[in-house]
Amino acid sequence: MSTGQSKRKILNAYHVIFLTQSTMIGVGVLSLPQQLSSLGYSQAFMPLLFGVIASITLYPMIWINSKYPNENLFRINEILLGKWIGKFVNLLFIIQFIFFIAGVINSYMHLIQSTALQEKTITGPVLCFLLLLVYIVTGGIKLIARFSMLIFFITFGMVYFTHWAFEKGDITHFLPLFNFYSANDFYDALKKGYLSILGYELIMFYFPYIVDQKKAYRHSLIGIWISILLCFITTAISVMYFSEWQLRNVEFSILNLFKAGEFSFLERIDIFGITLWVFLIFSTVATYLWCAKKGVDSLISKSSNVHLYILAAIIFFVVKLPSSRAFQETLFTSANYVAYMLIFWPIILILVHLLRKKKQVQL
Amino acid sequence: MSRKVLCLMLFLQLFLLVACSSHKEKNVPLEDVGMVGIIAFDYIDKDNMKLTVAIPQYSPDAQRSTQTFSVVTELVSNGVVEIEKLSDKKIVFNQLRVVLFNEEFTREGNIRKVIEHLYRRAEVGNNVLIAVVKEKGEDMLKYNYPDKPNINFYLNDLLQPSINTAFNPNTTIRDFMYTITNPVYDPVIPFIDKNSDKIEMKGVALFKGDQMLELIDPKEALVIQAIQGRKNLAPLSMRMEQGHGVEKLLIDLVQNDVQIKSNKSMTSPKLTLSFEIKGTLVEYKGERSHVFTTGKLADLEKDVSKELEQDIKKFLYKLNELQVDPSGLSEYFRMYYRGKWSREKKREILDKLEIDVHVKTSIISTGTLK
Repeated sequence: MSTGQSKRKILNAYHVIFLTQSTMIGVGVLSLPQQLSSLGYSQAFMPLLFGVIASITLYPMIWINSKYPNENLFRINEILLGKWIGKFVNLLFIIQFIFFIAGVINSYMHLIQSTALQEKTITGPVLCFLLLLVYIVTGGIKLIARFSMLIFFITFGMVYFTHWAFEKGDITHFLPLFNFYSANDFYDALKKGYLSILGYELIMFYFPYIVDQKKAYRHSLIGIWISILLCFITTAISVMYFSEWQLRNVEFSILNLFKAGEFSFLERIDIFGITLWVFLIFSTVATYLWCAKKGVDSLISKSSNVHLYILAAIIFFVVKLPSSRAFQETLFTSANYVAYMLIFWPIILILVHLLRKKKQVQL
Repeated sequence: MSRKVLCLMLFLQLFLLVACSSHKEKNVPLEDVGMVGIIAFDYIDKDNMKLTVAIPQYSPDAQRSTQTFSVVTELVSNGVVEIEKLSDKKIVFNQLRVVLFNEEFTREGNIRKVIEHLYRRAEVGNNVLIAVVKEKGEDMLKYNYPDKPNINFYLNDLLQPSINTAFNPNTTIRDFMYTITNPVYDPVIPFIDKNSDKIEMKGVALFKGDQMLELIDPKEALVIQAIQGRKNLAPLSMRMEQGHGVEKLLIDLVQNDVQIKSNKSMTSPKLTLSFEIKGTLVEYKGERSHVFTTGKLADLEKDVSKELEQDIKKFLYKLNELQVDPSGLSEYFRMYYRGKWSREKKREILDKLEIDVHVKTSIISTGTLK
């Protein structure tokens, strides 16, 4: 499917909105309030700032893509930087994707293990997860987009589970506004927290499949702001519900928000919520894996599903890496920080693009 | 091709799922799991505590409806391991409902550490109730209450929110962690005592920092709840002397609305609390005649307001003297303070705090008799 239709435009406006939206909401949101905790109660409005930064950084991505409407970033790299440098950079991106995916799966599976499946090892669940993931990704980007739409509407109901925490919380915690002075705290929160909303940059890879490329910026922006709103709800309710100590020390804040209430027929909503969260992980990781597969395709200049299976196998081994938890953590965090490079990469490409153009004009 | 792959995946997954449930030595069947309903901590000395758990007994052959186990231990989790040695079942905390501490433990021991441990455990819910026991938690759990089916249900139901015990703060594990880590609050926990064959709620244990400071009676504890904005309050039974001799009356179905305003000043802090209380006058005993007529009622309302104002003020000044703030009054200064708030800042505020209380009582009904 992905081979025959690769040159066709298949993503409509809704696909773009929900692809952007669901790639952003993954495992990061679960611990977003903790990542931002250096700001204390003032963190509540941070996601809005992130939204502004995301909107600004999205622009160069769309711009460079619109200059090459039929190519994805892997090809653009090769065109602009030459075949070998381009391929090398692509390889780095692919490695980053692999570790990023493995990091997401790893942290989610450890969460599952410590809450829902305490007496099991994670090998079985990881294997099942990867098989299903491969199945989704073989369907191509349009299937992933439609899957994301479905997942959004299935999981959106979880916002309701936070209302107990909202009722118990103190709204006075929002005051005083912007109560922080150290630029260091701010930088720390920005650095750690922004990771949670990464994912929108993948539009550089599925851009060639978008039907209405002129409006892609606007559609993508809608997706970003839906996600930002969800992040904002999370941090705002966390700020109301927790004390500053709890914000710092409770690792998966959303889980604790879910724990605040209960139905007469269902007591542990956190278990329910956290298992439902697997869909959000799927929709995030599927897009990344699809991009990684496209990367391998362009690296070897041949498109084949075998690449996907190999990638999945590598991810499995990275997740199951027989190393200490601390080493894994450093590995995945550093992979995350490399992801910031991807955000600024289009700016470099734009410079190269303009320089080349100038040269061509001079010639 | 893709159909074949799909089939293969399906079989693989089915195989894996089957494999998951075949670990016989790992999975304990439900009937062999002992779900702890109540856990009690009694103070022994600085390092040791006595840990008692109560587990509902579902076997019809057993003589008692509750199994209890006690061990002496230093660490909570180690105590659980010790109990497993005594028990025929696997001990789990998924159904934990109530945690008890004896008074000595809250005064001498480190209650925060124990609750933090429970808060950390993923299988323990956040809505587990906490209570302080006067004598020994162990005795309370081991006693055979003749007219109660099971101590697990009895204690849980007793501590649940109810309108007649509206003074009860219903402290849960989350509430305790929230109030003890939030510098504007001091925790409060309901205080219970065994009274022959029954358990009675005696009042509220007031904490200062990590240690219990004092027991306050239900009437005063109700003020804390009122300030925190609880809408429906317990029946107000009053004994007042406002120029008409000693009068006794009871106002039921009390509704409360509170507004708190601070002057935002750190140097000369002042708070104005305005309560609006609505209720039904149920019973009156005193000098006044024809109280239930409209004209007289207005006088009574005024006097009740005055009496309440005095009571609340007296209680709040007492708290200030003790330097504790269970209702989080200092939050109204933190809101306007730029910079980091700390416990010391709260004590500083409480030292200087001036409180103004206004109460407006309206008796909206007196029953159906003239």
